[in-house]
Amino acid sequence: MLYINCPHCGMRSQNEFSYGGDASVKRPELGKEVSDQEWNNFVYNRKSLRGKHWELWQHLFGCRQWIKVERDTATHEIFSTLKANEEIS
Amino acid sequence: MSSISALANIHLLGKFGDQEGKKENDLIKISEIKNLLIVQIVQYKSSTISPDKINIDSLSFVNEPLKVICNDNTRILWNSPKNWFLISTKKELLNNILSTFKETDFAITDLSHSRAIIEMEGKDAIEVLKKGCPFNFNILKKNNSINSSYNSIAFTLDIINDNPNRLRLFALRSFGESLYHSITDASLEFGYKSI
Repeated sequence: MLYINCPHCGMRSQNEFSYGGDASVKRPELGKEVSDQEWNNFVYNRKSLRGKHWELWQHLFGCRQWIKVERDTATHEIFSTLKANEEIS
Repeated sequence: MSSISALANIHLLGKFGDQEGKKENDLIKISEIKNLLIVQIVQYKSSTISPDKINIDSLSFVNEPLKVICNDNTRILWNSPKNWFLISTKKELLNNILSTFKETDFAITDLSHSRAIIEMEGKDAIEVLKKGCPFNFNILKKNNSINSSYNSIAFTLDIINDNPNRLRLFALRSFGESLYHSITDASLEFGYKSI
């Protein structure tokens, strides 16, 4: 069983979480002129990396907060977790 | 107003499962709890008020995981950051809560009629929970609470006592019967008494 360390609740089973996509995607700045390609990249285009990857997860059966999880997509090892408002260093 | 039972259709009184030849004290006791005041208190992100300075029924609010602050009548469960469940036998506390928490800083919701509450008592009660919930129960002590899932049903667990075990399970009222079935099925192996 995979365990995720929720920054709010502590170590919990992955069963309590729901995957929410790539955490490194940033919305284009508000008010800025955005090209079709930039918008396409923001909405649709995703890298499918092999290795360490920052992801969004929601602790659906626990505190219901969104968190960021650094996971290896090949081994499923989880390296670190952050609150949703914390920046990836 | 007394609340209408969420489990009236399935909560049959008596002894069930592997109970023959066992002492009464060795059986798990399962009961439905009604007529509790359940209030969800959420502090808005923009609020700057320190919740530990707020006092309800001589209890303050602590923003700490697992923590339950309690007295004989009232229990305040940590639900998530800046989000608490207040459970009380004193129904009149609601007026006190509504007047104490400013609506510019807090969202107050009375959930008294939207939860099914199952209380379990007995040394094997934790073993029953382990059968359907992925949480590591070894770290839980008296006056701890968690949100988790039991056979994929979301529930809140409140440990009222750990010696002997006395636990309360809160589930959405509409999932109450499913949770009750799951809990009683898992209890058959130990033998249980519905009271």
